[in-house]
Amino acid sequence: MRLKLKLIAASFKMFVRQKEAILWTILLPLFMIFLFSFVNFEGMGTVSLGIVNYSQDTTLIALLKPIRTLKITHGKEPSELTALQDGDREVVLIIPASFQPSGQDSLKLYLNAERPQETQAGRVIIQRALDEMVFQRTNIPRPTLVTETVNSRNLTYIDFLLPGVLAMSIMNSGIFGVAFGFVMLKKRGILRRLLVTPMNTNDFIISQVISRLAVLMLQVVIMVGVGMLLFDLHFAGSILDMLVVGILGGIVFLAIGFALSGISKSEDQVAPLANIITLPMMFLSGIFFSRSTLPGIAHTVTDFFPLTYLADGLRNIAIEGATLGDIWPQLLGLTVWSIVTVFLAIKAFRWE
Amino acid sequence: MNTVLNVQNLTKRYGDLVAVQGISFSVQQQEIFGILGPNGAGKTTTLEMIETLRPIDSGSVTLDGMDVSKEPQNVKRSIGVQLQSSSFFDKLSLTELLQLFGEMYSRRVDALALLKEVELQDKAKSYVAELSGGQKQRFSIAAALVNDPVILFLDEPTTGLDPQARRHLWGVIKRIRSEGKTVVLTTHYMEEAEELCDRVAIMDHGNIVSNAPPQELIEKLLGKGFKKARVERLANLEDVFLDMTGHSLRDE
Repeated sequence: MRLKLKLIAASFKMFVRQKEAILWTILLPLFMIFLFSFVNFEGMGTVSLGIVNYSQDTTLIALLKPIRTLKITHGKEPSELTALQDGDREVVLIIPASFQPSGQDSLKLYLNAERPQETQAGRVIIQRALDEMVFQRTNIPRPTLVTETVNSRNLTYIDFLLPGVLAMSIMNSGIFGVAFGFVMLKKRGILRRLLVTPMNTNDFIISQVISRLAVLMLQVVIMVGVGMLLFDLHFAGSILDMLVVGILGGIVFLAIGFALSGISKSEDQVAPLANIITLPMMFLSGIFFSRSTLPGIAHTVTDFFPLTYLADGLRNIAIEGATLGDIWPQLLGLTVWSIVTVFLAIKAFRWE
Repeated sequence: MNTVLNVQNLTKRYGDLVAVQGISFSVQQQEIFGILGPNGAGKTTTLEMIETLRPIDSGSVTLDGMDVSKEPQNVKRSIGVQLQSSSFFDKLSLTELLQLFGEMYSRRVDALALLKEVELQDKAKSYVAELSGGQKQRFSIAAALVNDPVILFLDEPTTGLDPQARRHLWGVIKRIRSEGKTVVLTTHYMEEAEELCDRVAIMDHGNIVSNAPPQELIEKLLGKGFKKARVERLANLEDVFLDMTGHSLRDE
């Protein structure tokens, strides 16, 4: 027991002192989220409107301005029309010099034929603003629409992304960390040197697993913590549940790492094997984007990926506040995977 | 004198190749015993069978009264091993490594005393990666001493070292012997064997072709009327090298 504790402490110490390891397991995932936080998916629901105003009047513009769906730019006619042709504008509105709120001039609207949805919306909004302008000059009573906004939890892309990236980094540090780490220990004769001591070899493996799971727990806590502090993560669940799911997933990926280190003789052999396993999961397990766009058969296959179970489990806890009971299908999936992979690891792992 | 190690008809086969062909030898307490031979002669395989790292195909090895193939765990507790080109964990200091190795033998180790033994006390807080070649070899001897072994196995301890570092390591090995330990080492350097070893076994093609003190082997050869093509002068080039560069260590 004492030896196990010392081995765990030593291996944890080695991890903390390894700058590259901290970079890969903690900083890189955070950096990825930081990068993705610049991707403005919310910007997709807007209409970009160029306004060319030849008149002195700004009544109409004042009415359009507060409408958040519109992204308004002001410019001269030729440049705005060029922008329209380049696809930078969806709608360009020309207000003639003679324009007055009480007048009967016609305003000209250029529409981008490539963006029917946006131009349709832009047209309705501008027509509605013109009607409003006319109404304001009359005193005709009219029915009004009383609106009340219901606060949804207003989830952002980061809320979707962060649990996914966390799952991915658990996978990568499990598979790459163990596979490369043990191949290196083997190749440099460190494992052989341990074999001439009377140490029980299982103690060594167990302490390696435990120290790596400790690092994993650190990953979960740091990612969720930094997410809440810096990226406005709406974390709805329990961090303890996150740790349980994380550890179960970690066991699956650590076991895959041990199996790979058993069948590889050098780093050159490990790298392609590890990539073959991790890359498809990284792109198909719904880490960055929802799997709902995958075609039927691919959707069904990816349902069974261990990374899908891990990412979905973590995500359901994080954004829906799901409990462990709620995510039993994911827990079951990970449990089955852990039995399979631990069995494979025991079969494949070699000390020499 | 006590026999610490007794090897009888030790054999190792790899398929059709017989790497070690039924060799026998014994090593006495506090002896420095050298195993010499060209590459592929079977030196390392022999050591690894004695060290419990490789199964023994036939024959027997008795170490401090224990049968190696029957009591490997107890044998491991009694031996100190420096493997050829083996390394240690990164990112643990020499002190931490020695303490960790001590724990593998359920021992609390005085790491500083061990480092002093191999003259590395100044490097107590360094990582192995920061050591020079000679320092690394000395550290792996310190690591082999954590369990206060009866016998120390050193596989090519001075390969790749400069003359200064090699001579320094000889001093360390002699001192360890003077403290009551038995040493078995392999080497490719004949002057090293001549300087260090009480007795040498020369191996070739998996056999021991002779086993005697170095001086005795030399006398025997001269007795056969052997003459060197070039008469040895009272100094050689290594003496010149050391005269010009000094005996002091370069790796500190």
